Amino acid sequence: MVIDATKMKSLGDRLAAEEVRGRSPWADARKRFFRNKAAVAGLVLLILVGLFALFGNSLAAWSNEELDFTVMGQVAELGGPSFASGHYFGTDDLGRDLFARTVQGTRISLMVGIVGSAIAVVAGTLYGATAGYVGGRIDNVMMRTVDILMSIPYMFVLILLLVIFGRSIAMLFVGIGLISWLDMSRIVRGQTLSLKHKEFIEAAQATGVPTFTIIRRHIVPNLLGVVAVYATLLVPLMILTESFISFLGLGVQEPLTSWGALISEGAGTISYGTLWQLAFPLFFFIITLFAFFFVGDGLRDALDPKDR
Amino acid sequence: MLSYIAKRLAIAVPTLLLLIIISFLLMHAAPGGPFTQERALPPQVLANLEAKYGLDQPLWRQMATYVWGIVSDFDFGPSFIYKDRTVNEIIAQGFPVTLTYGSLSFVLAVAVGVTLGVFAAIWHNSWLDYLAVGISIGAQVLPNFVMAPILVLVFTLWLRWLPGGGWEGGAWQYIVMPVIALSTSFMASIARITRSSMLEVLNSNHIRTARAKGLPERKVILRHALKPAMLPVISYLGPAFVTMITGSVVVDIYFSTGGIGKSFVDSALNRDYAVMMGVTILVGALTILFNLVVDILYAWIDPKIRY
Repeated sequence: MVIDATKMKSLGDRLAAEEVRGRSPWADARKRFFRNKAAVAGLVLLILVGLFALFGNSLAAWSNEELDFTVMGQVAELGGPSFASGHYFGTDDLGRDLFARTVQGTRISLMVGIVGSAIAVVAGTLYGATAGYVGGRIDNVMMRTVDILMSIPYMFVLILLLVIFGRSIAMLFVGIGLISWLDMSRIVRGQTLSLKHKEFIEAAQATGVPTFTIIRRHIVPNLLGVVAVYATLLVPLMILTESFISFLGLGVQEPLTSWGALISEGAGTISYGTLWQLAFPLFFFIITLFAFFFVGDGLRDALDPKDR
Repeated sequence: MLSYIAKRLAIAVPTLLLLIIISFLLMHAAPGGPFTQERALPPQVLANLEAKYGLDQPLWRQMATYVWGIVSDFDFGPSFIYKDRTVNEIIAQGFPVTLTYGSLSFVLAVAVGVTLGVFAAIWHNSWLDYLAVGISIGAQVLPNFVMAPILVLVFTLWLRWLPGGGWEGGAWQYIVMPVIALSTSFMASIARITRSSMLEVLNSNHIRTARAKGLPERKVILRHALKPAMLPVISYLGPAFVTMITGSVVVDIYFSTGGIGKSFVDSALNRDYAVMMGVTILVGALTILFNLVVDILYAWIDPKIRY
């Protein structure tokens, strides 16, 4: 017999047996992330805020547009938070339910943060990876452009844009998107420079893979860690930017609202004794920012264990 | 050094021009002209007005006139809303106010932030360290537009120590809250950056050597650790300056201090494009100038930078 039956059997067994599960860097990172208490707490908070934004409306007794005529004019006395009236967070000075308004504001603020950050991820990653990978004069021109754009006081230009083209959410997205990718492109470029001379890139070049495909298939997936961390930290910054503009009354317009607009209303009426108008939006604003920062830091520590 | 400064200037000038051109073109893209009113003006009057303000000229000509006015005379032209005032007058009214509380906030943020950061690093893991870390995490989520109402709530409404707003020629009671509101988050960032870079420097070889040769700890820190630890702080000052100027808008609005932020938001709400552009360009120029100074300072402190 040429083929030894027992040996074949053991080979067959070995091939059939489940492979020893290797630990991918991502699995390692996940483990480290979940060991970090602050980051997990942040994640839980974010999930709660997200649920609040998604399903808060079905808990609300009032819609965000209804005016409660019974409290109108005496908001300071009657408009406070109470379960009896159905205004869990009280009402604003027009008698609108603050709970429903906060749900609406949370939705818009989160949306601005996430969309702004998503624009940064797509535009910044492609731009930075291209500049870093192509290198030479093109890199120089591309990064000088970023330098120049970064030294422009963008908040003023953003307000200029909003005033000239009308204050709408779409314009807010365009304006925030225009500036959000700059930092990202710098970080990505730096990372790309260090990847560029690795063997697997050389191998791809040697087998004749076109440049753009190398960027897409080999560079970008290796940047994901840095991009994920930075994107998480970018969301609160975008929320801050939007809130800042809305605080000045130049961002989101009535009947829409956002955290910034609600905080602004609350800040304008504190002297009337309606403190809840400031407290509730501010509470959501602060815990969300905290949560994003903690999750971002946790992700960074998890993906880069040596840097602790 | 001179060639380095020249090189930085060579980037700064086109940046500023770009900013002017972008804002000029934006203004022209706006629907309606400066004299569009609810009751339409007779065409002859409109033509005369446009001729007076040079609006009948081709676009490139208008732009050239505008840029030249700024470059040669520092003249931003007339306001579109207040017919008897120029943009320069409006800016000149608010600028000293912004400069006063802005520079105070800046000095305060740097002084307290650096001190706190250095001591937090020296007494690593002490109560002061935890306090510094706690403050800097807390201040991250308390931007100026959140600080301002909280300060008013505590100091004006509850304690009744300070007036809730106004300027009154810069009496100290009116400066305290704007300065605190504006400087807190920068103080925290500077403290955090100083602390981490100081910790890194204190663990480096040259500090070990300095200690090994028996230098007193005070000298080790002042002479050998402080200078390299300041580098990340200095590179943070540029972006901090921009954010601070932006924050002054909130301070002006919330505390009614009447700085240029007020003119900016007023003009944004009135669609007074000339004033908006003027403020944007001024702020841009200041930013670019400040970044230039920071870069030079950085190059001067860090011997590794070759120019």
